[in-house]
Amino acid sequence: MGWPGIPSGRDSTIREPNDLRVAIDTGGTFTDCVYLDDGELRVLKLFSTPGDPSLAVLDALNKIGAGRSIHVRHGTTAGTNAMLERKGARVAFVTTAGFEDTIAIGRQTRQRLYDWFAPIPICLVPRELRFGVPERVSAEGAILCSPTDHELAILAEQVRASGAQSIAISLLFSFANPETEQRVEAALRCLGLPISTSHRILPEFREYERASTTVVNAYLAPLIQTYLLHLEERVGAQHAGGRVDVMQSSGGIVSARVAAQEPVRTVLSGPAGGVIGAWQMARIAGFEKIIGFDMGGTSTDVFLADAGTAGARLTRESVVAGVPISVPMLEIHTAGAGGGSIARFDAGGMLRVGPESAGAEPGPICFGRGTQATVTDANLLLGRLDADSFLGGSVSLDRQRAEEMLRAQKGSLATAEEFAAGIIRVVETQMEKAIRVISVEQGHDPRHFTLVAFGGGGPLHACSLARALRISRVMIPAMPGALSAAGMLFADTVRDYSQTVMLSGEALATLDPIYAEMEQRAIADFRAEGLHGSAERTADLRYRGQGYELNVPYDSHAVHGTLQTFHHQHQQRYGFSDVARPVEIVNLRLRMIAAAEPYTPAQRELIAGDGSAACYAKRAVFFDRRILPSRFYRRDALLPGDRIAGPAMITEYTSATALPPGCMALVDGYSNLVITVNEGTGE
Amino acid sequence: MKITVDAIELAVFQSAVHSIAEEMGAALRRTAISPNIKERRDYSCAIFDGEGRVIAMGDHMPVHLGSMPLSVQAAIEAIAFAPGDIAILNDPYAGGTHLPDITMVLPVFAATHTHPVFYVASRAHHADVGGTFAGSMGPAREIFQEGIRIPPVRIVRGGKVDQEILDLILLNVRTPLERRGDLDAQIGACRVGEMRALELAERYGEGNLRVLIDELLDYSERLVRAELRTMAAGSFHAEDWLDDDGVTDTPCRIAVELRFDPHAGSVVIDFAGSSLQVEGSINAVRAITTSACFYVLRCLLAEDAPATAGILRPLTLITPAGSIVDARPPAAVAGGNVETSQRMVDALLRALAQAAPSRVPAASAGTMSNLTIGGVDPRTGEPFTYYETAAGGMGARPRLDGISGVQTHMTNSLNTPIEALEYAYPFRVRRYAYRDGSGGAGEFCGGDGLVREVELLTDAEVTLLADRRKTRPYGLNGGEDGAPGRASITNAAGVEVELPGKCSRRVAAGSVLRIETPGGGGWGAKPQQLQNPNSSDAPAPSSQRHP
Repeated sequence: MGWPGIPSGRDSTIREPNDLRVAIDTGGTFTDCVYLDDGELRVLKLFSTPGDPSLAVLDALNKIGAGRSIHVRHGTTAGTNAMLERKGARVAFVTTAGFEDTIAIGRQTRQRLYDWFAPIPICLVPRELRFGVPERVSAEGAILCSPTDHELAILAEQVRASGAQSIAISLLFSFANPETEQRVEAALRCLGLPISTSHRILPEFREYERASTTVVNAYLAPLIQTYLLHLEERVGAQHAGGRVDVMQSSGGIVSARVAAQEPVRTVLSGPAGGVIGAWQMARIAGFEKIIGFDMGGTSTDVFLADAGTAGARLTRESVVAGVPISVPMLEIHTAGAGGGSIARFDAGGMLRVGPESAGAEPGPICFGRGTQATVTDANLLLGRLDADSFLGGSVSLDRQRAEEMLRAQKGSLATAEEFAAGIIRVVETQMEKAIRVISVEQGHDPRHFTLVAFGGGGPLHACSLARALRISRVMIPAMPGALSAAGMLFADTVRDYSQTVMLSGEALATLDPIYAEMEQRAIADFRAEGLHGSAERTADLRYRGQGYELNVPYDSHAVHGTLQTFHHQHQQRYGFSDVARPVEIVNLRLRMIAAAEPYTPAQRELIAGDGSAACYAKRAVFFDRRILPSRFYRRDALLPGDRIAGPAMITEYTSATALPPGCMALVDGYSNLVITVNEGTGE
Repeated sequence: MKITVDAIELAVFQSAVHSIAEEMGAALRRTAISPNIKERRDYSCAIFDGEGRVIAMGDHMPVHLGSMPLSVQAAIEAIAFAPGDIAILNDPYAGGTHLPDITMVLPVFAATHTHPVFYVASRAHHADVGGTFAGSMGPAREIFQEGIRIPPVRIVRGGKVDQEILDLILLNVRTPLERRGDLDAQIGACRVGEMRALELAERYGEGNLRVLIDELLDYSERLVRAELRTMAAGSFHAEDWLDDDGVTDTPCRIAVELRFDPHAGSVVIDFAGSSLQVEGSINAVRAITTSACFYVLRCLLAEDAPATAGILRPLTLITPAGSIVDARPPAAVAGGNVETSQRMVDALLRALAQAAPSRVPAASAGTMSNLTIGGVDPRTGEPFTYYETAAGGMGARPRLDGISGVQTHMTNSLNTPIEALEYAYPFRVRRYAYRDGSGGAGEFCGGDGLVREVELLTDAEVTLLADRRKTRPYGLNGGEDGAPGRASITNAAGVEVELPGKCSRRVAAGSVLRIETPGGGGWGAKPQQLQNPNSSDAPAPSSQRHP
């Protein structure tokens, strides 16, 4: 699997040459717009319009592309929000009779091991909306029992009477034989509701995860369909021939029409853009192995990408808002701590930061309304935020208020500053732990990676975090505030297809017909969008008896190579392999890709400088347990080739980079900050 | 560099040691072979100081909480460790719990020390360790029938695996290749822990480490004492019962008395009055009893409080020797871990509810409903052994219904997907559903249990180890008891025969095995109108988590 944006020899999409390419990422606070204007990348930032997110999108388009034909790529939080707030559709869940409750039972585990008062999980499908069909398909795909037409008519009547707004159908072993599922679908079509069927959404075994994925799709379908199709209509009305594509959680682009049918594929649209954006910028700057670190207000996302192993990693075991989703998504690990996380001493006297967050309301103390110490207050108190330029001066920070309240809450610590420094250390310890989960715990040594930091808080904490992990290089990409939109702009168009087959390894050479069938479907789907793509075949293999699979590239003319790769990967990831052990073919996967137009930004010449023209202040900043006089630089005034030594702060609109003593930042030819981190002064 | 331990240093250190336990667990999960470890996550890893006191443990299996330290103590007592050694053990009478749980202990020697600065340990539940019954969880009558017993011995000496010891172990189990892989994974996990512990030792230096470890244990102790200070003074007595031991029909009593001293912030837990050890396999060694107490104390704290030896300091535990809560050889113990441990928690909570009524839920299902099926798969001609536990209803909480069909208290293992099951075994699942109305009624209702029907497509041996058939999961504060569990087999001719909770039967192809797990008890007197007990549907009332 190749990752996008990086120049590649693949066929590119068919597109009018004078299209204006735009990517718009709707976030909680800002709607970021990135576009290519005469080969130059430009950024526009607007405040989001939560009531109707499309208003900000249309507004942005008006501002940049009046009268031009427009090709929009969009990242939306509509799906995530509907899931978090449980505000999706009333879904009727139709499954094999006797298994109606499985959608609620799940894997029968509890989320919190030691909490007798854990809340009752809310199933997306209330019980009165679960329906059973008298039918059964065997593991081998044989139909053992199927419903009569009369029984299907009764089912349709029951679903109609239930007041459902959307339908999810997931029968046992439907991926092995979809016939009954198709009959049920046909019988329910007369209701005129959106229908999601499991053999189309996710034709893979493990009934709960497949059903759950199908239900999420149905849950979001009415809302997302309305939103996306309206948006496309309005874009088309304003800009003749305008078209809208959407970022999927997998990091690939898909048309709005397809996204409207399969909204489950776009729930983590925005974060996926961030991963792709960071990865692209790093590749262009010449870094092949990165750990991404995106620290926001309430949480922090970390991820790992390695050019040697297919770039950013995909997972099929995501959980969003407590609900499993098994379509491919970029693997992003989230830690429950960010700038707004609240610090407190627990009953045993230990300092804790998060997971409670001050959020936007009341927000940190320094925003004027909050009363509990947060990470942002600590950074302000230690001189690491520029009170005047924070968010371009649109939010004024009350340092005195923060200082007074931190002093009142400092417990047995000597000073408010000591408390603040402690908050920073504890939250950075949590970030370090999150990065260890995606690196060390998966067999990667973080010292071989470049830490790519973005988001409001990432650059503030990146250097000291790198020291703790013994990472010697940090990169703060250009446009850290619009990275997600940039990622969308240059992502490939991708659709994923899969099929559980559960065959013995000996069948490896005979899989061509199944792949060919998937490929035909993929080609037809792309053709319908006016696209021409190329297909990549992979297979999920495992040793017989195992409960997990490894995904390896598949070539019917070189199946021995496929097997070798499997044994090799198994050795690498799990520490052992056994060529004598029988292998099982679990899932076949096909990824259809139409590569984005290659884009390489012009690299500007490096002219050695010290950035003094960008220096606007000298202030006291707390670094490594000391208060040090530090220079403050405006990032947008720095030039390629400038070198800045810590202690220093480099501030910009959405963020600030803290450069501790011993660190050296270089502005590279693409305006990234590339920081060399020396071993710290230690504990 | 000398540090004074403050709230910040403590938080940083705690995070560092906890991540060692987590990284060991990740390594074990990644490298183990058997589904019971990989998929159901029946394992634990922990790190201990040079005196064998636990300082961090991964959050996986509550039943391992109190018993891991005893394994390390047993290894320290039995072996004069040298650098590069790893001990292995499973004997419940020498640091183990039940035979399938195999524990490895590695002493961590820092460069210049003759004494370990840390110990790290990994434990995993192995799918078979020999004995009379496939899966080693059957209705044995003495420990010699339950599998191979391993006292603390060195499986690795000076960095090299002792092949003779390994061969001896592997010759005694049914699936030696799988065992070999899982044991390798445990060795690997210990080495990951060793590497990280050495880094920690280097970073802090021995003097600072000692200060930090002492402070961490004191911290845990303070957390528990703070909770115990809020308890009512006095003694609170409760009892609960296991149906029988699977050999005779006599119910087995678990009696417990909690004696709180809020002034000192301490508690005495006394199991005097519990049944003498029994003929069947539901005897528990003291390590299990310690785990049950550890679990209950741990639940009084916040979800993310670290599990360290400090938690047990305010506890004085009294167990009568030779009883069902402190069994002596040669009692069989396979079920003590999975069934008796749950009943101890039930008894402890019943007593605790008298001291702190608003903080304690009614009884949960109280049985893991262990099911083992063995036979020959007609599709391949190869023998198979299937083992799984089934969840039940959670007891109702003050101001909150119980959750339906969920693992509670001492276990949290996952179910096997039906589609995975039917690929792997000659079974067809007929039904998997909430067991309506099984949760005890009350102002707040107990969670419902589950119903599972499995058709056997071949002749097979079915072994059941379950409880809560006679004594039901209790309600509290006027809430009704949960429904008892039930199991039956319906043959191809449609004749249904009820099964006792603990039994092993030959069953013919075409038969349908039906298991109904108990519901949780209700909390508070039932209001006029009966509520729908199926908790998963109703919007949840907001959590009333204490404190």
